[in-house]
Amino acid sequence: MSGPFLGVLRGRGRLSGLALPVMIQFFHVYKAYPGDPPVLQDINLNVEKGEFVFLTGPSGAGKTTLLKLIFCGEKATKGQILVGGKNIARIRESAVPYLRRNIGVVFQDFKLLPHRSVADNVGFTLDVLGVPRAEGREKVHRMLKRVGLEHKANSLPLRLSGGEQQRVVIARALVNDPTILLADEPTGNLDPALTVEIMDLLTDINIRGTTVMVATHDATLLSRYQKRTVRLERGLIVSDEDGVKAARRMLV
Amino acid sequence: MSVLSKAAYFWRSAAGGLKHAPFVHFIAVSTIAIALFAAGLARGASHVVDNLLASLGGEVEVTIYLAPQLGQDEVHGVHTRVVELSHGEVTVVPPEAALLRLKHELGDLGEALSELPENPLPATLELRVPEARRSPAALQTLAKELRALPGVTGVDYGEAAVERLSAIARALSFGALVALVVVLGTTIVIVAATLQLAIYARREEIEIQKLVGATDRFVKTPFLLEGLLQGLLGALVALGGLWLFGRLLGPTLGSLFAFILGPGVNAPWVETRTVVELLAAGCALGLGGSFVAVGRFLRV
Ligand SMILES: Nc1ncnc2c1ncn2[C@@H]1O[C@H](COP(=O)(O)OP(=O)(O)OP(=O)(O)O)[C@@H](O)[C@H]1O
Ligand SMILES: [Mg+2]
Repeated sequence: MSGPFLGVLRGRGRLSGLALPVMIQFFHVYKAYPGDPPVLQDINLNVEKGEFVFLTGPSGAGKTTLLKLIFCGEKATKGQILVGGKNIARIRESAVPYLRRNIGVVFQDFKLLPHRSVADNVGFTLDVLGVPRAEGREKVHRMLKRVGLEHKANSLPLRLSGGEQQRVVIARALVNDPTILLADEPTGNLDPALTVEIMDLLTDINIRGTTVMVATHDATLLSRYQKRTVRLERGLIVSDEDGVKAARRMLV
Repeated sequence: MSVLSKAAYFWRSAAGGLKHAPFVHFIAVSTIAIALFAAGLARGASHVVDNLLASLGGEVEVTIYLAPQLGQDEVHGVHTRVVELSHGEVTVVPPEAALLRLKHELGDLGEALSELPENPLPATLELRVPEARRSPAALQTLAKELRALPGVTGVDYGEAAVERLSAIARALSFGALVALVVVLGTTIVIVAATLQLAIYARREEIEIQKLVGATDRFVKTPFLLEGLLQGLLGALVALGGLWLFGRLLGPTLGSLFAFILGPGVNAPWVETRTVVELLAAGCALGLGGSFVAVGRFLRV
């Protein structure tokens, strides 16, 4: 783990006694793909360090796009986005890799390399950071164990079931202990038992201090884990309930 | 530690690239090899010609034929003038000595010369030209001056051979230069094209690398190394080819030229200097091609 970004984040965490520092901030953010009507409109959002946030809404609402803006997978058309106190609309192109090293992403479309083993796919993040091989293998092994795939380390991704592939992606996102975890439909392909396992894993990561955002349209997930829930519809935030509120609504 | 493991990763990645698309890389490596082999041959050939020129120069001896009716004193006078003009070593060969030498050189046929009623050979002066004046141009001037001396009927220094050889040497080095430029340009284009394919084949990997935080340099380095490896392999193949060429044809060529060069002037085709130069040229070609490819096709 390296880079100036993390140092800033950690420093802030220690120094602030009262108010939790804000990890992700959106100020009047708009996003439009060229030639199309805006996908996101006037998004205002504060996510504090160590928070767990569900991002929900119907298909096509803009959940994936919102997550992409955070790790610079897309650029906002208008507005400001602060991640770890840095305005990512203004950072240099060369600083983007260092931002990304602190953000683990579970991609909705997995983005696994079909000709590399599961262990290689998970270790990919560590290769990029120059983690020595032995140390990397050790970390990969531990991570695969956590997602219950240690016996598949040498398989190719296409030989795995959808749920297993999903867990490989989660392992890759978490292997480097990111400061922020962005998970796009991380339980989309899992049966209820595995969903619980994965959610327990994400909760566990969150308790250890990682800020977690989970995009999902799975209502049972929302009702089971009563966490802050941001609802998007056609590119607008239509509701933003904290965990207590969400729990109360579920009871009614 | 991190630097080392990164370096190890780059090498693995580059070598993996070579293994992944062997045919494409085979083409690039052979192109480099052929280009360098040709360059090495041209270099060897110009080396041979240089040697030839040098050894001719070493034997440059100007023969000055004197008018047959000159007496001892007049011969002596010409001798002094020639020494003044050329600053060289001049020996007088009287007609009798010239005849003896000719007899000796002709061997059995020489017997026939004894039958001659009188010696047909004039007195000659043999001039060893000092180093500084052995260039074709200087020799020409000297010959002109000598011819103008009274009592001199002819001057002979193997003019044609010297001139033709130096013309060949000039043409060779010019041709080699033009060929070099063309071949280098083509080779770089071919290397760049193969690396474009390599980049295309790994676009998914590149995308994911970028997403998990790889810097541009990290993404590009393996491809530059791949080009470098191609260049090195190509240079090694070319060196092997030149060595074989020298082994198989060298002796034949050596004996072909031996009548002028004398034994032992057998130019080696692969010298330490050639090895260093070809390896450097291979690296430059490979790196040049990969720089072009990475700059043009790897928009990260
Ligand atoms: N690269 C793109 N170019 C053009 N339009 C895009 C692009 N990516 C997404 N969109 C559009 O943006 C809108 C929001 O897409 P997004 O993927 O963010 O939705 P989502 O909420 O993640 O949906 P889902 O739940 O199905 O994953 C969609 O209408 C989609 O067509
Ligand atoms: Mg989506």
